[in-house]
Amino acid sequence: MSDALSDDGSDINQDDSQDVMTPAELIAKLEEAWLNEKFSPELLENKSEVVECVMEQLTHMESNLQRVKKGDAKASFHRMEIDRIRFVLSSYLRSRLQKIEKFFPHVLEREKSRVEGQPSLLSPEEFAFAKEYYTNTETYLKAVALKRMPLNLQTVDLLKAVPEPCLDSFVFLRVKEKQENILVEPETDDQREYIVDLEEGSQHLMRYRTVAPLVSNGAVQLI
Amino acid sequence: MSTQSYFPVPPGVGMEENFLSLDDILLSHERLPVRTECSFPRLGFLERSSDAHDIPEGTKMELPLWLSKGLYERKRKVLSVDLPKVYKEGWRTVFTADPCVVDLHKMGPYYYGLGSQILHFDSPENSDIAQALLQTFIGRFRRTMDSSQNAYNEDTSALVERLDSLEKALFRSGQNGLNSFQSWEKGQASQLTASSLVLNYRKRKLADVQT
Amino acid sequence: MDPSEVEFLAEKELVKIIPNFSLDKIFLIGGDLGPFNPGLSVDVPLWLALNLKQRQKCRILPPDWMDVEKLEEMRALERKEDAFTPVPSLYYMEITKLLLNHASDNIPKADEIRTLVKDIWDTRIAKLRLSADSFINQQEAHAQLDNLTLMEINTTREFLLDSLNFMFKLRSNLQPGSSKGQLTDY
Repeated sequence: MSDALSDDGSDINQDDSQDVMTPAELIAKLEEAWLNEKFSPELLENKSEVVECVMEQLTHMESNLQRVKKGDAKASFHRMEIDRIRFVLSSYLRSRLQKIEKFFPHVLEREKSRVEGQPSLLSPEEFAFAKEYYTNTETYLKAVALKRMPLNLQTVDLLKAVPEPCLDSFVFLRVKEKQENILVEPETDDQREYIVDLEEGSQHLMRYRTVAPLVSNGAVQLI
Repeated sequence: MSTQSYFPVPPGVGMEENFLSLDDILLSHERLPVRTECSFPRLGFLERSSDAHDIPEGTKMELPLWLSKGLYERKRKVLSVDLPKVYKEGWRTVFTADPCVVDLHKMGPYYYGLGSQILHFDSPENSDIAQALLQTFIGRFRRTMDSSQNAYNEDTSALVERLDSLEKALFRSGQNGLNSFQSWEKGQASQLTASSLVLNYRKRKLADVQT
Repeated sequence: MDPSEVEFLAEKELVKIIPNFSLDKIFLIGGDLGPFNPGLSVDVPLWLALNLKQRQKCRILPPDWMDVEKLEEMRALERKEDAFTPVPSLYYMEITKLLLNHASDNIPKADEIRTLVKDIWDTRIAKLRLSADSFINQQEAHAQLDNLTLMEINTTREFLLDSLNFMFKLRSNLQPGSSKGQLTDY
């Protein structure tokens, strides 16, 4: 049995890039994505690669555990860890679904205007979900209200009716890689714009719009 | 863990209105004092105080916000909108002196929401009104915050009843933060409780039996 | 974020335990643990430490800072300074709660520690409220909040962020030309 559990999982090759990630780094990536998704006002780019690799790790570990007899001490440690990772994974995916439900017309619009080759906001499954959610909402609105309206009032532009994510929301963040010359725009007419340096490890409260690119490239972590 | 079965659309706040927000729909029914700037033929039935067939030019009446917004035009004078008194200079002075003394529920309850919507009607006092809304909010912020953070398990009705509807929503999010922390601290977060849906269902069933 | 999710993150922090069993090194997805030998201290994540403790498989060694004298110093400093002082762990509150609730027999002077940590927490939360108020009052665009912990942020996050959003919208009323001001036709 010890063979089955001593397998620490093969290193994961991240797509075509040469980067090799250890399973531990992979889990850290997932947790990072989870917190960023929870705290950012808009839907972030999907991390399907990370999700798939984590799923692979979990399935691999679970199949190993099937070969272990009941009551094995190591197995119980592994099961607890698997449960914890599954929790993060589902919470991450769920918070994305919630945002898709909240912003569905805008999410789909962005997908429509995406240039070939640009990474997609949505995973294929999420895209299917968003489309279905759109159709269902439209059908529902029609059935309960719109079909009883005068003919010229029977359509609702969902893109206008559903509020957009507010990129001007404030967020809390921790800096992972030092950033210089971040421009902070003034809040009132009698203030002036100014520049801050974000030191590694420091924490800040500022507008999401200012740091959105830094969130997506991993230089800052939302907290 | 907090789970929400659906996400109500929040009010737009400011000059925006969210089409699918219940708060904004209610807000759009608030009545505004208006004066007709031309005659409205065959609409006399809207004005209950007279039996006239038409509404003549110069009639003073109240119309809901949504209708006033729909009829208002910048170029062609159809109607002019009077400021409700709480946005007029007299009240603005009161707010500047001490924003905390005002009962915004009684004066509103959509003080900020309606105030922002009023800006659509191009009053010369627009910038003063917008400034008053902002300063009133800032002036009352500390009180809203403190009451939402200290009022755990106490009767909060006296505090809450003087808040505008948006302040009330903020008050609730403040209390949520505090309550969820306190129940975590006491270890209540790990206990399972029946959902309010189930409890209500039981109550309803009981009520059915009794009738 | 729910406090239990913050607690979940805190459970990844390492603590020292003294196991009463022996077990080879184990290779978890998140990293290696062990080997475990009776009587020899070993670092494990808090979630595992608590589980072993509940099964009476180990004794937990409290972290260095969980000490009455050190905490008294911290409390004095926290009360003296206007700014947030550095905390011994970004999860001090969660770790304290978890250890005191599930392993209090391994923590000397548990009651005093509970009170001290709560005092430090209360002082910091009062500062947080003060800075939130001045942030709103000054209508600031940026604040540096080093040493503030996730659990602390979390108690006021929703309220503060909603208020800031709200204030932003009231402020954009001051710019009459903004496109948002147009009547929208659905």
